[in-house]
Amino acid sequence: MLLEARGIVKAFGSFRAVDGADFHLAEGEIVGLIGPNGAGKSTFFNCLAGELQPTSGRILFRGRDITRAPPEAHARLGLARTWQVPAVFEEMTVRENVMVGAFLRHGHRQEAMRRADEMLAFTGLSPLAASRAGSLGTPARKRLEIARALATEPELLLLDEALAGLTPAEVQAAIELVRRIHARGITLVIVEHVMEVILTLAQRAVVFHQGRVIAEGAPRAVVEDPAVIEAYLGHSLRRRSARA
Amino acid sequence: MAMTASRGAWGRGVAVLGVLAVLALAALLPFALQDVFHQRIAALVLLAAISASAWNLIGGYAGQVSIGHAVFFGVGAYSALLGYTLFEWPPIAGAPFGILISLVFATIIGLPTFRLRGHYFSMATIAAAELVRILVVNWPLVGGAVGLMGPAVPRSTLDLSFTSPRPYYWTFLGTLTALLLVTHWMSRSRMGFYLRAIKGQERAARSLGVPVQRYKYYALLLSAGFTSLAGSLYALMVGFVDPDSGFGILISVRMVIITALGGVGTLFGPLAGAVILVPLEEWTNATFGGAGTGITYVVYGFVIMLISRFAPGGLAELWRRLQAAGRRHAA
Repeated sequence: MLLEARGIVKAFGSFRAVDGADFHLAEGEIVGLIGPNGAGKSTFFNCLAGELQPTSGRILFRGRDITRAPPEAHARLGLARTWQVPAVFEEMTVRENVMVGAFLRHGHRQEAMRRADEMLAFTGLSPLAASRAGSLGTPARKRLEIARALATEPELLLLDEALAGLTPAEVQAAIELVRRIHARGITLVIVEHVMEVILTLAQRAVVFHQGRVIAEGAPRAVVEDPAVIEAYLGHSLRRRSARA
Repeated sequence: MAMTASRGAWGRGVAVLGVLAVLALAALLPFALQDVFHQRIAALVLLAAISASAWNLIGGYAGQVSIGHAVFFGVGAYSALLGYTLFEWPPIAGAPFGILISLVFATIIGLPTFRLRGHYFSMATIAAAELVRILVVNWPLVGGAVGLMGPAVPRSTLDLSFTSPRPYYWTFLGTLTALLLVTHWMSRSRMGFYLRAIKGQERAARSLGVPVQRYKYYALLLSAGFTSLAGSLYALMVGFVDPDSGFGILISVRMVIITALGGVGTLFGPLAGAVILVPLEEWTNATFGGAGTGITYVVYGFVIMLISRFAPGGLAELWRRLQAAGRRHAA
């Protein structure tokens, strides 16, 4: 087991955004976290990434307790992430952004630059290497985030809506990129609104609703699960469609 | 594209030669300046460039805008003259102690203030500096409100007390060169990248494994050490320090303004800022001297207005714009 989360609760005041979620991840998987808006999947994701500390519950990475570990320790252990709203270092060039990630494992500038250039080539960003990151559009920023996270040489990559806001052509390119990341032996957790992405990419889908995991399994089967349809569409619609 | 291709080993060699040539010219400058008044201004420019460059490490590269760096400057200046007052040491002997005490102060000040961001951090550093200033004013051992004096006449060459500003100029030039070399090396290393990442997006930096607090500390310690050295050099040249000229808020503000004027987070920004601001100060002091020191604040205010209105990136930004315009023109 690569990652295991047991009984995760994250409360903001009296509101429990995540309310006792269990989750496990085997090496080499691609798992999609889905659920309607406000289901708690992003909060749960941020608990896994170390950005938020769960109110209770435990998270184990390779059997090691990382529940209270800070984000930088996650990166060191091999757990990288991207941000829903791209958080690139705008004043640095694209190459320098990726070098920040590469410096985690390589102290020498030349070596970090070599690693960064590899990642830029891998993500198709090489032509933009010398551009200021602040001058990039959203699709390139999302790619840069992925390149930067990969430069930390992770075993597990957490993608937070990496494909949201892209055009269909860009989504296709991004899906292809995710596949190539997976082919490098990196395990992936994808939070996604776009169901198509989960259906094409994920081997397993985990559905969140009101802070809990309500369904889990093969994506095709999960989306036909009545509980999932109900969570997405609500009671009335389901009753109406049943009558029809 | 063509520009990046032309760089490399050859371009770097040219850059190194250029820097050496400029350094040689700078070392010869005091011979070109015949009168003591201008030599003194040249020395003061370098001194201001040292403290501003030291501030630039934490304020510019790491983006943590301290307005309390007078603490370290004052500790450096006082250490130099306190060693003389208490034990009759040559002032320069106090400099290492000043650096040591500044590092301790930096560690203590960083602990609570690094939890704060943006303006809150700046305000906390002002408070820390004012606290130290008030303590010094009320502490007779360090001269209280009157301050401390250096040796009236040099007892030996170790006192480094000269009538001509030239030896000071060369001392400051050597120190500034060392500081800029350290800064250049730092900015290209992992630390430089990490500091710029912290300045840009602290959360994203952490998620890439950057130990944010530790690197802020590295930057602050480096910065505090050199600022303290600048204070000791100031005491060496002026031979006198009181709470205002050592720990006054104006000392801190000046480092910020000089750096902002030249270009925050750039290697030569603080030097460029000092080259403009220091002669401007001297000129206003000479012209409106009788009107008191208030006019200095007016100059600072005016400079702040100009920077924020026309070039928030300082002279470095204007330089880049000029270069870009030149390239467009050439193309």
